[in-house]
Amino acid sequence: MADATMGRTARAPARREAMVSPRARRTITSVVLAVLCAVWVYPIVWMISASFKTNNEIFGDTGLIPDAPTVENYARAWSEANIGRYFFNTMFVTVGSVVVTVIATALMGYVLGRRRFPGRGLLMGLMVFTLFIPQGYTIIPVFELLTTAGLGQSLWGLMLATCGHSVVIFTLLFAGYFAQMPKELEEASRMDGVGPVKTFWYVMLPLSKPIVVTVVVLQTLQAWNDFLLPLVITLANPDLRTLSVGVYSFRGEHFIDWGGMNAASAITIIPIVILFLFLQRYFIDGLAGAVKG
Amino acid sequence: MSGVTLRNVTKTFGAVKVIKGVDIEIGEGEFCVFVGPSGCGKSTLLRMIAGLEETTGGDIEIGGRRVNDLDPKDRGAAMVFQTYALYPHMDVARNMGFGLRMNGWPKDEVDRRVQEAARILQLEPYLDRKPKALSGGQRQRVAIGRAIVRDPEVFLFDEPLSNLDAELRVATRLEIAKLHGTLGNSTMVYVTHDQVEAMTLADKIVVLRDGRVEQVGPPMELYRNPANLFVAGFIGSPKMNFVELSSGAMPDGTPVAQTGTARTLGFRADALRRSADGPLAGTVSVVEQLGDAVFAHFRTPWGQELVARFDPGTEIRAGEELRFDIAGPRHLFDADGQAMDAALRPAA
Repeated sequence: MADATMGRTARAPARREAMVSPRARRTITSVVLAVLCAVWVYPIVWMISASFKTNNEIFGDTGLIPDAPTVENYARAWSEANIGRYFFNTMFVTVGSVVVTVIATALMGYVLGRRRFPGRGLLMGLMVFTLFIPQGYTIIPVFELLTTAGLGQSLWGLMLATCGHSVVIFTLLFAGYFAQMPKELEEASRMDGVGPVKTFWYVMLPLSKPIVVTVVVLQTLQAWNDFLLPLVITLANPDLRTLSVGVYSFRGEHFIDWGGMNAASAITIIPIVILFLFLQRYFIDGLAGAVKG
Repeated sequence: MSGVTLRNVTKTFGAVKVIKGVDIEIGEGEFCVFVGPSGCGKSTLLRMIAGLEETTGGDIEIGGRRVNDLDPKDRGAAMVFQTYALYPHMDVARNMGFGLRMNGWPKDEVDRRVQEAARILQLEPYLDRKPKALSGGQRQRVAIGRAIVRDPEVFLFDEPLSNLDAELRVATRLEIAKLHGTLGNSTMVYVTHDQVEAMTLADKIVVLRDGRVEQVGPPMELYRNPANLFVAGFIGSPKMNFVELSSGAMPDGTPVAQTGTARTLGFRADALRRSADGPLAGTVSVVEQLGDAVFAHFRTPWGQELVARFDPGTEIRAGEELRFDIAGPRHLFDADGQAMDAALRPAA
């Protein structure tokens, strides 16, 4: 027995001595990640810092801590540059497009994920194909459509156009999620005498909460930060501008108001940061679930 | 409560015919079990009664009403699924009352029915829990509760114990048997592939194979007088022993009395008695001690594995040479596998 044991030990490959202890490895990893994080976060920190500086101080190379912090930039951005109005416009477009997008894509995803009908594969293929068309090519036709519908110069039109950006992706996310749900849930609901609409609303949609949250977060980011579409649609009507277009207006022909622009940018990102802080757990669950599904 | 009648019921999926003309009469208050191997069509038949699958041909009646073209909700049937199919985001009370609420029942009445079902199923302490906080057995009870609150004419169970572990399966099986009495002997149709469940629960067993009914009858009738080789082999544990006959003799040439033109001789494990001059010889290959019985699997001279039952405590060892007499009931089957006669007592 002893011989056999010794034989096994002799045949076993020699263990490699660890170059670095696990504790040191963790420390090195943390430092590398902290450096990467600092690089990533630096532009935002710089923007916040600059928003509390005067235009002269921004270019005075005074470091990240302002010498004489001022909120004048915020006041000027909010009132004079009409950021308050743009904030409302953006909020309207974002909330409206999120509501429309969630309902529309959940319904489409439910049908595509749970029902077998002729042409389903073709329909999904066409939807995926549209992902490869750059947004720039579709802006003029979208604008034409809105004008024909009498919505070319309204926030409603901008909101509806904003819904279209990621409809395909969100629909496929919902379809994938609904497809993996057990059919017995729907059958139990059918046996209970519950119709398909109520089954969707009371059973399937609540169960797809991770995807709903993912769509809410992604569509909010999309709508809030969208630039090209609102720029084109609001060209002739500055009152309809959204924040991203409004921030761009700080760039004059001869002068750029960097302080005001940074204050406006800081105002712009606050709602997004708050939203993400509240929903990040569901958001990550949703994406993980969609990948696993 | 009402009975269920199936008349020449057929079902095809595309070109594949899965139910091939089934006639079954389930009486009011009867506990009927559909049993058969995987793919025999028993679950499909149950889903056709429920209305979850369309009926291709024939008639299905519940309580004397033809229900072929009715929605599941209008058939007066409630179903308990193998996977429970509970709504994960609703607590137990909401799960049980969901159907009634969605159909506009008054809240008081829904609450009363949910409380009553919870009392019957001993679920009262769990009414505000979500399904994920319940054990498998409790979840299955909630699924049964969801059926009870609807006060259906017929309960349909689709392999309700398959997802439970062995111990819980026995306990829940007893609860379902008790429930049948508690609910005023309601009509229940129960699907399983487990013949022990079928034998212990059923008033009437329907044995299905390949979309056809092989035999219908009370459990002991099927056990004692199987209509063919399939039923004889399917009902009873351990499986019935079969020996091919040739001109009234076993493969080794040992003659068997009073077999006529039979091609197969069947006898159960408990029909064999050890006998020094018995006609059946074998070498023990495996011994199973079950506590209340000993099963000895033995190999015959022509290489077939058979099994014999002995009283508890009998000392048998693998490798031992034994001889048996067929002392219990014998079953004879013709060349088509059909029973030739009721179980025959051995010649004296």
